Amino acid sequence: MEASFDFWTHLPAVIPELLLTVLAVVVLLLDLYGGKENRRNIAFVSAIGLAAIAVTPLIWGPSEQQVFWGGMVRYDLIAQIFKVMIIIGASITCLMAADDSEVGHKGEFYLIVIVATLGASLIAAAADLIMVFVGLETLSIPLYILAAFRRDDERSSESGMKYFLFGAFSSGVMLYGFSLLYGFTGETNIYTLSQAFPAAVADNPLPLIGALLMLLVGFGFKVSMVPFHFWTPDVYEGAPTPVTAYVSVASKAASFALLVRVLLAVFPVTLVIGQENLQTLWVNLVSVLAIVTMTIGNVLALRQTNIKRLLAYSSIAQAGYVLVGVAAMQSQSDYSVASVAFYLLMYTFTNLGAFAGVLIFSETTGSENIKDMGGLSRRNPWLALGMTIAILSLAGIPPAAGFFGKFYLFTAAVNANMVLLAIIAVLNAIVALYYYLIVIKVMYVDRSQYDSQSIALSRSTLWVIGLTSIAVLLLGTFGAQPFFDWAAQGAQALLAL
Amino acid sequence: MALQEFAPIGAMLLFAIIVASIVLVISRIFGPHHPTFRKTAPYESGMKPIGPGTRRIPVKFYLTAVLFIIFDVEVIFFFPWAVASRELSLLGLGVIGVFTFILLVGFIYEWKKGGMEWE
Repeated sequence: MEASFDFWTHLPAVIPELLLTVLAVVVLLLDLYGGKENRRNIAFVSAIGLAAIAVTPLIWGPSEQQVFWGGMVRYDLIAQIFKVMIIIGASITCLMAADDSEVGHKGEFYLIVIVATLGASLIAAAADLIMVFVGLETLSIPLYILAAFRRDDERSSESGMKYFLFGAFSSGVMLYGFSLLYGFTGETNIYTLSQAFPAAVADNPLPLIGALLMLLVGFGFKVSMVPFHFWTPDVYEGAPTPVTAYVSVASKAASFALLVRVLLAVFPVTLVIGQENLQTLWVNLVSVLAIVTMTIGNVLALRQTNIKRLLAYSSIAQAGYVLVGVAAMQSQSDYSVASVAFYLLMYTFTNLGAFAGVLIFSETTGSENIKDMGGLSRRNPWLALGMTIAILSLAGIPPAAGFFGKFYLFTAAVNANMVLLAIIAVLNAIVALYYYLIVIKVMYVDRSQYDSQSIALSRSTLWVIGLTSIAVLLLGTFGAQPFFDWAAQGAQALLAL
Repeated sequence: MALQEFAPIGAMLLFAIIVASIVLVISRIFGPHHPTFRKTAPYESGMKPIGPGTRRIPVKFYLTAVLFIIFDVEVIFFFPWAVASRELSLLGLGVIGVFTFILLVGFIYEWKKGGMEWE
């Protein structure tokens, strides 16, 4: 570490986080002194503020890519990309919540979303186990509160409680993994840990395998990987819809950013303990988990009748696809990391669009059943169109962005000589097509008891649906290559130590 | 090898398990054992238990406990700063000022929202 600490060179590395803190304070004071009639404006202040903060990582940062604040956070392009993704996700969530009858008029809601975003953006850049844990908890604890935000609704309280119990337990296991890593090496920095391993454990890979498994438990919970996915449907169903949207995109993107960084930096390809190459080990493990996650997510989604539960299982399946990209990091990791980043970027817009549609639908009709969505195209064609674009993107059909997302992920798997994994992923995508297309069919062909009831779009929801649809279409056509190249550039930065 | 350093911990664990089970097993074998209704009751004092085991506690106590955390955390962070405040100079003072300001906002929030009022 440097002898003299220059505050001002370290400051730009955490500019988005500092601005998020300021925004949180502003929102809190607005809630207190803004008056009751202005409560709704807090949503717009938060959304615009977050959108403005989302740009800052791109225009203002340290001149070189390295670790800052005594090795706590790392400034590099991939972290910036994930931060932009997370903060934009939060911004759209706030805009979406503005018209939610249950949470929209509560200033605390936006405050908690901003604090959760602060945690998410910290873990996207975390370079130290302590920072990883602090960031993860700063993300998780607000999310537990958000899930239980409708206090007088039993399902919401249940989802908050379930989320908390699962979350606390997996955090505990992960923390034990951290403590093992620290116990073996006396290091907490992600980038120096791997160099300390050979001296610490000599020829015995067993302790490291144990630590690796424990880390995967914690991260697997956050991204709803299969053995740790049980909370997902209940939390998604019970939590207020804007919260569900937020959990499914921002929290997931941040956790994948962390997973990628930790796996590549702590267990690099060069790390061979005894005869065991640890990277081969985690690549095999993640491949198997990817297959199981995709399959279980898709198969269980087939039988869902509630749209939010359907999207929950779909989000498990999507996590499985991303894990394919994570497993493919064994060779040409630039390409794989870029494909993961691109997928999460397009998934952010796609899922926010889908959940915005669900939110408007359930606000007007009070129902979350898929069959009640019948005739949506006649009740509000624009809403149905926006939902269709989002669902096509989830299914991976061009011109929506999901096609390129899956294309890059599966190409990464093929490049890494994991053809079988790619084939299984493609087969899974075909299974998924069924339940996604059913929703579209119901919206355009079927009829329901609410058929005559028209659905009005408010200005803010129109913005959400419009923005996400345009972003999805853009990323699926002209935007795909430039954004992928950008992510690939970022991926190189992750690996350049 | 690193694992051998954990041997004492393993030995201690094993020792704890053995001692505990010896105590339990011996008293079970040699001690008199006449379970009656009164003896197996949760409070073995001859009294019949009255009411449910879990009492309802006013939720205000939880609120008070949560509010206390603000000041608790404040002190935890003030302490190391106070010890090293000379070395940290003006920068440290500025940083702790920002920290205090954020806590102050939280404090104002709880005050305005009526968190301090008992009734």
